[in-house]
Amino acid sequence: MSVHVSPIREPLVTGHKTYHQITEDLVSPTEKMPNLSWVIGFIISLTLLTFGLFCIFWTIWVGIGTWDLNRTIGWGWDITNFVWWIGIGHAGTLISAILLLFRQKWRTGVNRAAEAMTIFAVICAAIFPGIHVGRAWVVFYFFPYPNTRGPIWPNFNSPLLWDVFAISTYFTVSLLFWYTGLVPDFATVRDRAKGLRNKIYNTLSFGWKGSAKHWQRWESLSLVLAGLATPLVLSVHTIVSFDFATSVIPGWHTTIFPPYFVAGAIFSGFAMVLTLMLVTRKVLNLEDYITIEHIESMNKVILLTGTIVGIAYLTELFIAWYSQYPYEQFAFFNRAVGPYWWSYFGMMFCNVITPQLFWKKSWRRNITLTFFLSILINIGMWFERFVIIATTLARDYLPSSWSYYSPTWVEIGIFVGTIGIFFTLYLLFTRVAPVVAIAEIKAILKSSGDQYVGKNATHHDEH
Amino acid sequence: MKNNKNIWIGEKDLTQQEEFLNELDQEKSLMNLESTADSLPSMKGNRRDFLKVMGFGIGAATIAAGCDIPVKRAIPYVVKPDTIVPGVANYYASTYVNGGDYCSVLVKTREGRPIKIEGNISSNVTKGGTSARTQASVLSLYDTNRYREPQKSNEGVFGSMTWSELDKMVMDALSSSASIKLLSNTIMSPMTFKAIEDFKAKYPNVELVSYDPVSFHGALTANEKSFGERVMPDYRFDKADYIVSFGADFLGTWLSPIEFAKDYASKRVMKNSKNAKMSRHVQVESHMSMTGSNADNRILVKPSEQGAAIAQLYNSVVGGSAPTSGLNEKAKEALTKVAQQLKQNAGKSIVVSASNNVDEQLMVNAINQALSNYGNTMMMASASLQRTGDDAKLMSLIKEMNAGSVSTLVVLDCNPAYDCAYSSDFVKGLSKVKTKVAVSYSANETSVLCDLVAPKHHYLESWGDAMPKKGSYSLIQPTIAPLFSTRQTEETLLRWAGVDMSSDEQPMYSYLTNNWKNSLFASQSKYLSFDNFINNTLHDGVFMSAPGSELSYSEAGINFSNVTKPANSELEVSFFETIAQGNGEYSNNPWLMEMSDPVARTSWGNYLAIPVHFDGYNKMVGLNDLDDGDLVNITINGKELTVAVVKQFGQMPGTVALALGYGRTEAGDCGTGIGVDVNPFTNQNGNTSYYSADVQLGSSLGKEKHYSCVQYHHTYGVKALDNDGNMVNADEQALGMAYGQAGYQGALTDRSVVYTTNLKDLGEEVEKVQEKRKDAQFLNSKQIYRGFDAKYENGHHWGMHVDLNACIGCGACTVACMAENNVPVVGKKEVSRHHEMAWLRIDRYFYGELENPNTVYHPMMCQHCDNAPCENVCPVNATSHSTEGLNQMTYNRCVGTRYCANNCPYKVRRFNWLDYTTADIFPVNQPTLNGEKTPFGADDLTRMVLNPDVTVRVRGVIEKCSFCVQRLQEGKLTAKKEGRKLRDADVKSACQTACPTGAITFGDFNNKGDVLDTKLQSDLNYIALEEINVRSSVTYTIKVNNRDESITA
Repeated sequence: MSVHVSPIREPLVTGHKTYHQITEDLVSPTEKMPNLSWVIGFIISLTLLTFGLFCIFWTIWVGIGTWDLNRTIGWGWDITNFVWWIGIGHAGTLISAILLLFRQKWRTGVNRAAEAMTIFAVICAAIFPGIHVGRAWVVFYFFPYPNTRGPIWPNFNSPLLWDVFAISTYFTVSLLFWYTGLVPDFATVRDRAKGLRNKIYNTLSFGWKGSAKHWQRWESLSLVLAGLATPLVLSVHTIVSFDFATSVIPGWHTTIFPPYFVAGAIFSGFAMVLTLMLVTRKVLNLEDYITIEHIESMNKVILLTGTIVGIAYLTELFIAWYSQYPYEQFAFFNRAVGPYWWSYFGMMFCNVITPQLFWKKSWRRNITLTFFLSILINIGMWFERFVIIATTLARDYLPSSWSYYSPTWVEIGIFVGTIGIFFTLYLLFTRVAPVVAIAEIKAILKSSGDQYVGKNATHHDEH
Repeated sequence: MKNNKNIWIGEKDLTQQEEFLNELDQEKSLMNLESTADSLPSMKGNRRDFLKVMGFGIGAATIAAGCDIPVKRAIPYVVKPDTIVPGVANYYASTYVNGGDYCSVLVKTREGRPIKIEGNISSNVTKGGTSARTQASVLSLYDTNRYREPQKSNEGVFGSMTWSELDKMVMDALSSSASIKLLSNTIMSPMTFKAIEDFKAKYPNVELVSYDPVSFHGALTANEKSFGERVMPDYRFDKADYIVSFGADFLGTWLSPIEFAKDYASKRVMKNSKNAKMSRHVQVESHMSMTGSNADNRILVKPSEQGAAIAQLYNSVVGGSAPTSGLNEKAKEALTKVAQQLKQNAGKSIVVSASNNVDEQLMVNAINQALSNYGNTMMMASASLQRTGDDAKLMSLIKEMNAGSVSTLVVLDCNPAYDCAYSSDFVKGLSKVKTKVAVSYSANETSVLCDLVAPKHHYLESWGDAMPKKGSYSLIQPTIAPLFSTRQTEETLLRWAGVDMSSDEQPMYSYLTNNWKNSLFASQSKYLSFDNFINNTLHDGVFMSAPGSELSYSEAGINFSNVTKPANSELEVSFFETIAQGNGEYSNNPWLMEMSDPVARTSWGNYLAIPVHFDGYNKMVGLNDLDDGDLVNITINGKELTVAVVKQFGQMPGTVALALGYGRTEAGDCGTGIGVDVNPFTNQNGNTSYYSADVQLGSSLGKEKHYSCVQYHHTYGVKALDNDGNMVNADEQALGMAYGQAGYQGALTDRSVVYTTNLKDLGEEVEKVQEKRKDAQFLNSKQIYRGFDAKYENGHHWGMHVDLNACIGCGACTVACMAENNVPVVGKKEVSRHHEMAWLRIDRYFYGELENPNTVYHPMMCQHCDNAPCENVCPVNATSHSTEGLNQMTYNRCVGTRYCANNCPYKVRRFNWLDYTTADIFPVNQPTLNGEKTPFGADDLTRMVLNPDVTVRVRGVIEKCSFCVQRLQEGKLTAKKEGRKLRDADVKSACQTACPTGAITFGDFNNKGDVLDTKLQSDLNYIALEEINVRSSVTYTIKVNNRDESITA
């Protein structure tokens, strides 16, 4: 690792870590009994999960009539949550794929957790298309399998079908990517373990031996998967946006949606990564691996994508005016000053104003502020989807059909339940796998450890 | 089962020691004592028994679970009746009569059960039209709350009895009665009159008293004075170029609305914009009635000013000095102008009034006489007999009852304990009547107070006749054998009169035909044999004989001091009859209960209509700052009611209005306890008048729990004054930047949904619309899929034309659609959540001046777009396009993503949110309509009304208008069997046949020169949302009004 690193680069691993210390720090959470905060968190998550599962059961048993959707507003919290969760997943893919290809070293501190988050978020998201339908027991009609009904194929023109493919592809690739990264780390855990634990981790690591050939193949596979995943970062949310963009409803029928959705997804994804990592680094004492430097980098991404999102919002407004098309104009009047004005206001405040605070360096590096703002962005991005879906549907072409919608306890319960699912999975993840990629951290130690670079460096580059 | 031989308890037992055995006996007897003391079966049993029982239980359960679910087999006829071909409908001509409501109908039966009512085009009265009530009448045949056998009251608790017991008890009572009274609503059946005559022959001290739930007493009495007969004129709106109506809802509920609607519409439609002519209709009222909503001009007067308003017109037309003081100045001025225009239209005009004041009606008669309308637009020779009630007789009956001088009262299927103005006096008097017998269809407020109930047939189970107008007759024939142990009214009366009918299998058929033989057969010369005559008449359903002689008008003295003097109160309330409920006669009909009111768009309850004004900035403010669905206390004549309000555009400031017919206490599962009863407020000094000037309105008490209104936004570019005094488009103004306050009134209104214009600007509007259409078509032609339309040039290409100038909003089509297509009823809570399932709805928008607007009705159903946005978004191909241009739903394939509904620009797709059809195996998700025990449709009786040609949809699937595809298939088959090309007349959708005004035309675009194609030639046509290129198959016309802008009131 004798790559030249600019002396002005901040170190990405602090605390003068040795390889052994890294292993100790990162593997130990999987070896110790969980602390009290983990247990409390897990109980809360599991409770929410159980309640969510009950609400899902209730929905399927009684019918979609347990929700307050109506003849005008066919989608509400269900698809809002779906798009929101899918969006959150995007940060993981961006970090693991695009940042890998761009050789951004700061990705190593957060990529493992971000990828895990992607998978869990996609699981949460995938629940909604399955249960929001009137007859959940026939959702298999979505899949193009040979059947005795003709055969009848699904409608390949439908964006919902594209969603099915986009999301299943996305999930598969994300899972592979995540697992591939985990293989050497599982081997590290195995090497320290005995008995059954050793056997399990041996299986999980596919008998990894750490030979040069293994590493070489592992590197190649990572690159190949990164290559596969990179277009997915752009395509998944593009296709999700097609659900709306290909329709005829004013406010949905717009060409700006693909880039706008992708930027929004990365924006919300990074916000969620920050929310999670700020807690994780504190609880698991990972401040040396997830440094202020990492946080600042992510805040920069948030600033960029947040600004793109803001520009998209303003562009929509401009186009509505410029088009002189009354339905489009009304759609935006309706968003801003209609009965759902509060959600538009919430969206504008959280997504446009909030990230602009990150122009100031000291604020980018302020952990409390970052945490607070990341929560705001998560809320704002939820509002964005709600505005796009419910507000638009509520008032479209025929004034006679306008309606209003607010969720029932079942809909809220399912949303809360997915949060429970997400955190339950995440908390379990912190117990079975290293939250930070050990192998990758070790790989950058010599170039980004604080004993090598930065102000406090003790080992200096001889070149 | 116990085997104790090898089991012993210790040594003593084994050796059978006496001491031990005694002890054992004692214990046993103690146990017996315990077990007898305890009523529960003793849980004796040992381990082996337990195992045996368990083994048996599991075995039995396994066997039972392995069994098939019992299969209900349809067994073919052993000897098939000639007339019944399974799968082919039979139609029988009959007549729908309910009190004064009349409609000549064809009854569609499938495999012997009536499932749908169609209009009878042979009738010269209803001319093939129907009403919502007529359409819904088939459902009441299968009413689960109807009486199934005779009932006897035991201290108010009813128990069943047999007919012979009932007959004996009634005949005993009758023969010992000094005074027998029959009480009914209007009777227009010669056969019923004959039966009553026969009844009277046996019991001489019988008197028949008739009244109408909504009184026509004033008008009838006035006509008696002017013409010598208690009849209503035969109004001919097809001959009237100028119509003035003082509060008469003649298109919706007043007298003969089906007939009037047809005639009225013939003067409102136009082929194209060249030389377009139409009648002018002025409505004088406070509450926006359905008829008022169709008027060109509405002159706003408070309910108490109606008399003065008539007087004003009387003074201007006839010349006189009727008192007009207290009438608002605007109305005075307007009525003076109206009088001038009326005079120009003498002999071609109609003035009608719903007033129940004799002297006011006499003035109306005088006005019509002065305009020489009698004999031209109002025929007395063919006078209407659809309302003949006499309130004076009713009042004297109630007096006699209270005096205790009525010994037997027979209530003939009417409900005076609820629906007359004197109901409380009636109820008091009823307790003093010795024997009270109700001939009733289902339990109502009156029948539950009677001693005996003789259940009656539905009209679809009866023989009968009707004479709605002099010279117009129609027959009623049964279309199904009586479902329960009921008897038709006439038979009941005849049996009580001691007529022996035991030898006759169809006694009422014989009675009817004998009656006709003696009267009508003799009066005609077309048929030589009676059999021929009666069979042909039964086939046609109607018979026309020469009308009566023309009645001459004689000047009757008008006592002007009796004309209502305008009250000087701040707030007045008017009570009005709705299409769906009448005065409560239709409360237990779920189709009618769920049907949204044409004007208010509310259902499941009566809502207080309050006036609306624009605050000049961004809000449409209701009276007392009340908003839609707010509960409020209203004090009428000192009595307080709590009602929910609806902001009603067109409601006169200083007035509110509340519908009659709600708040029933005994109306079965569906109607009981819905809304509030206002009948007690209609009695004013012995005169039934449908308003009160003694009203106080409170402020909001919070929201009603289930405010069921299917439309939230009501206006389409209404104009009002802003804060600077400029006339602005209030809808667009209301979009102002006031976060959240804009609410539902606020929109950009340059939409291509409806186009409206005044007759004088028609040319201009047509040009504008055609220009817009050209732009849209140009843009649409630039699509990437060119040549797409060529597909439908061969074969059929179904389409529809809706003439908005003919549509009066009556809603007959919406109920017909529910009946034809098995559309479920969902109940108040579900409607309040906008879960109503109607495939066809009538959108209603107000335009013009905000405080005195015009109205446009916009029937909206699936547009069967040829470039349908719903089709391409369905992930599973559940909705697809047919080669004939139909947008089809495949319910079995539908997963229920609702994406299609979201993407429908017309919002016509409906989702089965819950198990509305009660078809699921587990009844956990069947919403009830009104808290009833068995959800609507969950019983076999109600399900008999289902149309077997249409799938009953399951929970979780989308449904929508299919253009009555089952009828299209039938029409195609007919043409094919007859070996000819299909004509548009072969295929008529249910909404089309129900429509009394012919607003809906269905047909094949490719049948050049046929009915639909002809309609499509008009330059008034447009397609809703044409510019979004979904290629709708439904064409509308520009709505034209003939408002006289100089009349401002």
